[in-house]
Amino acid sequence: MFRTSSTAVHGPGDFTLTSVVLFTLGAYGIAAGSVTSDQTVVAIGVFAFVLFAIGLVWPIVILARVSVEVVAPSDGAVGDEVPLRIIVRGRTDRVEVRVLDPPGRWWRTAVPGVGTMPHLATRRGVFDEVRVQLRTSAPLGVFVRVRQARVRMPEPITIAPSARPAAAVLYPIGDEALMTDPVPASVAGGDTVRAVRPYVPGDPARLVHWATSARLGELVVREHDPPAAQGLALVVDLSGPDEWGDEAASYAAGMGRAALAGGGVVLLATREREGPVCARVLDARDLGRRLARAVAGPPADVPAGWPQRVVRALDFGTVP
Amino acid sequence: MTPKLHPARPGSPWRAVAIAAVSSLGAVGALSAPRLGIPAVVAVAIAGGAAALTVLCLPSFSTRRASVLVLGVGALGALRHAALPSSDSHLVVFWAMATLVALVLVDRADAESTPALVGAPPLAPRVSEAARAAVAIGAVVAMLSVAVVPTLTRELGRQEWLGKIPTLGDVQNSPGSLRASHELDMTNRPRLTDTVVFTVDAERPDFWRGEVFDVWNGVGTWSRSDDSYVTLARSDGTVPLVLDPYDVGAQRGEEMQQTFYLESRFSQLIFAAPSAVEVNTDLVLVGRPDGTAGVLRGLGQGAVYTVTSKNLKPTADVLRAADATPLPAPVRTRYAQVPLASERVRALAESITRDAATTYDKIRAIEAWLGANTEYSLDAPLSPKGVDVVDHFLFDSRLGWCEQVASSLVVLARSVGIPARLATGFVPGERDGLAGRFVVRENDAHAWTEVFFPGVGWQGFDPTASVPLAGDAPTNGSWFDWARDHVATFALVLGGIVLAVGAAPDLIARARRRVRRRNSWPARALVRLEKVGRASGRPRQPAEGPGEYARVLAAGIGDERLVAVGAVIDRDAFSGSGTSEDARAHADAVLSELTGRPRRE
Repeated sequence: MFRTSSTAVHGPGDFTLTSVVLFTLGAYGIAAGSVTSDQTVVAIGVFAFVLFAIGLVWPIVILARVSVEVVAPSDGAVGDEVPLRIIVRGRTDRVEVRVLDPPGRWWRTAVPGVGTMPHLATRRGVFDEVRVQLRTSAPLGVFVRVRQARVRMPEPITIAPSARPAAAVLYPIGDEALMTDPVPASVAGGDTVRAVRPYVPGDPARLVHWATSARLGELVVREHDPPAAQGLALVVDLSGPDEWGDEAASYAAGMGRAALAGGGVVLLATREREGPVCARVLDARDLGRRLARAVAGPPADVPAGWPQRVVRALDFGTVP
Repeated sequence: MTPKLHPARPGSPWRAVAIAAVSSLGAVGALSAPRLGIPAVVAVAIAGGAAALTVLCLPSFSTRRASVLVLGVGALGALRHAALPSSDSHLVVFWAMATLVALVLVDRADAESTPALVGAPPLAPRVSEAARAAVAIGAVVAMLSVAVVPTLTRELGRQEWLGKIPTLGDVQNSPGSLRASHELDMTNRPRLTDTVVFTVDAERPDFWRGEVFDVWNGVGTWSRSDDSYVTLARSDGTVPLVLDPYDVGAQRGEEMQQTFYLESRFSQLIFAAPSAVEVNTDLVLVGRPDGTAGVLRGLGQGAVYTVTSKNLKPTADVLRAADATPLPAPVRTRYAQVPLASERVRALAESITRDAATTYDKIRAIEAWLGANTEYSLDAPLSPKGVDVVDHFLFDSRLGWCEQVASSLVVLARSVGIPARLATGFVPGERDGLAGRFVVRENDAHAWTEVFFPGVGWQGFDPTASVPLAGDAPTNGSWFDWARDHVATFALVLGGIVLAVGAAPDLIARARRRVRRRNSWPARALVRLEKVGRASGRPRQPAEGPGEYARVLAAGIGDERLVAVGAVIDRDAFSGSGTSEDARAHADAVLSELTGRPRRE
């Protein structure tokens, strides 16, 4: 889904059996009329030809006057059916619509009309536009006119890789390593605060609870329960063919989820379009979004003291 | 997700397709019945049943393809059988509309097999969609047909064709009205069928004359005083006919072309509206001195020839004035001699025409007498052997068919010195609305009288039925010709219909919205607010909105609650979210208090 590369899926339209029948009848009627001079026969031939012409032109005119908008949810995952909201504007009886990348099934709607179609996500990434095809053969079924549009969505959709089942080994993480935990890339917070205690020299500044310190008039720091003492740093290098990269991201997603499920801290080092990023992931959704944004290229460096698990796309070239 | 239904199951869209297909094929069945020689009901049942079975009972085959194919087969049948001579134009139009609707419904049914977007509005009802499409497309088809069909037919169509070579069987089985004869025996009763003998493409109806006879033997047979014929010379496909030198109309009259399409298997006569002057054909023709023509070896089925005729199209006044011109002697000698008739026949002629001043009036008087004193019947008793058929008809039976009636007119006219002769051929026939041709059947065979007027020529009179003079005949042909003649009216009406059909939904929706707005709470509340204002001497200005007006009134009356009322009306009318029921109730209470009347529900 939402593949940005173009795929030849359809031409501008197809003639149907009805068109063949009408064209043949029209030609036969006029030819027969030329032999018999029978105006009725000529009239039937003209009737068939006019139906053919109208059936050819009408769908083209209809589709030229129809526009479509697509609204997608903010998140999805490869393998999920993502509900896409389709808004079709214009004025006609009906059209059929489908989303490409990959070509999905056709759905019909009255026009104007708003409805939702489930569409299977097949590729990870962040997508802000989608290719949509509209078609109609109304009213006579002579010609199936197909029009393709590249529709920019109001909000992009992030398709996370599917989490491939994987086991994660959690390593103890020292306080020094935790102190070097870079600012999370996503929303801050997440640890449960058990209590506060007076500040002692050596406490990381990030543990200072400023509100309580202000109230008490002395510095206090947060005490976490349980302390984040286990985890790993996932280094994901997607350099290589796209398919291998997707496999690697899927594997990394499975490992990261396993680590999070085991109560570990996960530090994810990737390369995004803007540059290398190394940040702690907060939850499975954050993990999916980070991996969705990951692109091929050298990942960020991991701070010292973090046990690393490196996932390389090139290692997945021979994975069945 | 739309569940797939068996085409025949209740709720399946293919049922509607089946109904339309049955109508379409049924019309084709009705069209083909006469040619196939089976009862129309049987043909309709067979064709309709086949259509229903094909659409509904072939689940292993694509229903769409099956439907389109069966409609295509029906169209081939229409092409084959709608062709003259067995056509019924109304059936052809019905077939076309049914086919059009069926095609729309096929496409619609196919679309319905696609799942609908979840939460999307339902499609318009099938009937509504099919009707709108049929009206719009039907209008376009009608306009284009009017524009191109006559031109195409004229440009592409053949105006002359030799036709098939008739066999001996064709000759033997051909109707007598299509065979050349030396005499006309009136002692036999004609046996006429409904079979089409030929069709004629002509701008106006006329008698299609084949032969004329001028010698009455006084018993029951007509013959010719000059039965000779000559082979006519042809140049560039045109054969000039032998013209009667005294038939002025044949020389100076207005031209009318007629193209004859022979449907019968054999004909020896060249039919034409009087008076024929030339024939476009590759056939070898023979001509008689009376101006009629024929083909010695005969014409076969499919033969096409075009005849040019000339006629002065005289009015009654012109014919009355013709008496001022002297009658040419040869005409008097050949056509005005007193016939072999009984004394009482001659006496009757004298008595009928005694008060008539002109030849024309005398003929009219005789026609009137025949109309008043005789009756037409193909079942009239045959005259006894050896008895003067005319005398027997006029004085004894007074019951006869066209031959007796027309012969009586000729004999009575000649009895008072009016040159007349008997013509045989066919009446114009019924005009086919689509094809624009006159369809002439065997039972359209006819005999009528031709009377000579000096300075005008031969003019036909039909004492059997009231037939208008050629000059009074209508000139419109097929529906296409009529539409072309009335193209402005046609376009206006059509445009009106299309506009009405196109605009009707919008107009109805707009009217409904207007009614809804008028009956909406803010509209009613504003009316009550205005009433409060009028009572206080401050009506609402045209540019004032409810809120603004309410503030003005609140200041004037000194009741600040009106400001809130105005705000509620504004919000309810113009904000997308509307207002709560509580706010409306509060505003209603304030207005009721100020108007002294509770709110009408």
